[in-house]
Amino acid sequence: MAFITIAPPSQPVTPDTPRAPEPSGVSGQPGLAGPPLRAGMTTADPTNAGRPRTGPAWTLKLRTVPSHVLLIALAVASIFPVYWMFVTAFRPSSGALSVNPLPGPLSLENFQYVLTTIPIAGMLANTFGMSLTLAASQLLVAILASYGFARWDFAGKKALYLLFVGSWLVPFQVTMIPNYLLISQLGLLNTITGVVLPQLCSAFAVMMLRQHLEAFPQDLLDAAQMDGRSSWRSLWEVVVPNLRPALAALGIMLFISAWNEYLWPSLIMQKSDALIQVGIRAFLGAEGNNWGAIMAASSLACLPIFLIYIFLQRYVVDAFIRSGLK
Amino acid sequence: MFIETAGPAAGITPAGPAGRPEPQRKPRRALSPYLYILPAVILLLVWTYWPLGQTVNLSFNDWNLIPTRPKQYVDVQKYAKVLSRPELHQALVNTGLYILAFLGISVALPLVFALLSRKVQGKARTAYQALIFVPFLITPVASSAIWRWLFAPDGGTIPAIAAALGAPMGNVFRDPGGSMTAVIVIVGWQMLGFGVLVVSAGLAGISPDYAAAASIDGASGTQITWRIIIPLLSPSLVFLSLMTILLSAQWTYPIIDLVTQGGPGNSSTNIYYLLYQFGFRNFDAGLSSAAGTLFFLGFGLIALVFVELSERLSFYDN
Repeated sequence: MAFITIAPPSQPVTPDTPRAPEPSGVSGQPGLAGPPLRAGMTTADPTNAGRPRTGPAWTLKLRTVPSHVLLIALAVASIFPVYWMFVTAFRPSSGALSVNPLPGPLSLENFQYVLTTIPIAGMLANTFGMSLTLAASQLLVAILASYGFARWDFAGKKALYLLFVGSWLVPFQVTMIPNYLLISQLGLLNTITGVVLPQLCSAFAVMMLRQHLEAFPQDLLDAAQMDGRSSWRSLWEVVVPNLRPALAALGIMLFISAWNEYLWPSLIMQKSDALIQVGIRAFLGAEGNNWGAIMAASSLACLPIFLIYIFLQRYVVDAFIRSGLK
Repeated sequence: MFIETAGPAAGITPAGPAGRPEPQRKPRRALSPYLYILPAVILLLVWTYWPLGQTVNLSFNDWNLIPTRPKQYVDVQKYAKVLSRPELHQALVNTGLYILAFLGISVALPLVFALLSRKVQGKARTAYQALIFVPFLITPVASSAIWRWLFAPDGGTIPAIAAALGAPMGNVFRDPGGSMTAVIVIVGWQMLGFGVLVVSAGLAGISPDYAAAASIDGASGTQITWRIIIPLLSPSLVFLSLMTILLSAQWTYPIIDLVTQGGPGNSSTNIYYLLYQFGFRNFDAGLSSAAGTLFFLGFGLIALVFVELSERLSFYDN
């Protein structure tokens, strides 16, 4: 939370949520002057400070050209492998090895092959259900716990919170054998329940939400209490509705993390391919060099996350940045 | 929505519960907070802390994970064994190299890019960042498949370009000298976007007034960058570094498992992959647990150093 308090005075100083109302604010920070303002301020321009400006506005634009080139190069390097995945997937299977950088004759052959070879629709549905369950449960558990931490002082509060912070230091690989044994004793190996169970609580979500709730206006809670609301009703009728943007961002992030989780599903689902991660892994092993089909399967595995990113991009970026700012 | 509702007094309370007067926190509700926290604590105890204790316990036993076989207490033998294993030394060296590489890719490189591209703002910047962030969202099986295809000796793009440039390359994943680089490229490609986003957000949070004031006093652009921007950014850089160190071994795990299986030899393995191999390939629960306990302690130490460091650096924002 370091730099928030040094934000420009024009920004309201709420410790945790300066960007809550405008999730896309990362790039459009009010603090940095936009181009029109810059042209007028020769000395007080932060981004080019020290170099006195004499030229007219268009030379300023010209000066950003190297920056644009740099960012374009970076964007191309980031996006090319993804682009190539789709291009290969949509080629006819005879032309999979084409090195033509442009999308060739479009064909759905590879997708048809994948759909008839493995039950990928079922895998996608299962993984979707699993990720939704995990995100919902992690969100619910985190709302309750962070509310408890943020609203009251109680004996042992610090020690209990330390449990959550400390769990960051316990890599999953260190506890995977006991977890595996427990799931095995419960008879849940090769089931989606076995994958879900150990991940029902996300300490990370608790920590994120606690920061939001610490910043929640106490007056609102007091007012709710004076209205005779119980703490339970205050939570659902006052706190949660007011935190909706933050909860949405966090929920989307938890969903994406659950979807992309690999280690635990790969251990628990060794004899099952009900989930996309393990199903595609088996397909990769079986198909060898059938790159068109492999790329088609991979595109399908990424599809839900891409759709979320395209339609809810502001929330996704916002949530991941917050996670990095903490 | 905070900004609409926040009263002037409620806005600035980063100091934690001790710092504010709370007349409404009444002792008669003594049980409520515990009830709210209970589900999370139970889940943490059952799935994190109790297993951690079990891991420490297993590390003093010889056991092959078969429930009907009794565990045999062997004192610290497993620790002695794991410390003398050459795989462990290789894995430790590799983990160090991976961390160094990822610190470069997800902290240093984004910092350089963010500083160089500060002048690009507005919609264009949002668009670039949106594209750069895409690899971070790709599911590990897909990213390993994509890169296996890009690196494929039979028609993959990268060997084709290398051949055209007169430097033909073989199967990089089977090359002891290249497998680790390949894993770094794949994971780095995914992590770069995250670093760029975090550093840019950090930069955007720094008030331009400081640089403006320094500029009026005659500071040069370089001086402003090194003496003002980077120190103000340091808390988020420290945090990003800590995240990279703690998480890079875990981010690398799926790619290693899917692309190289730690090989050839142990050239691309890391400590977490080694834990998996000890436990689920060699079925030596004691060995895996002993190594796991050691890594847990080691990473705990590193994290403490970083927490200390970030507390020292955080005076900048007060």
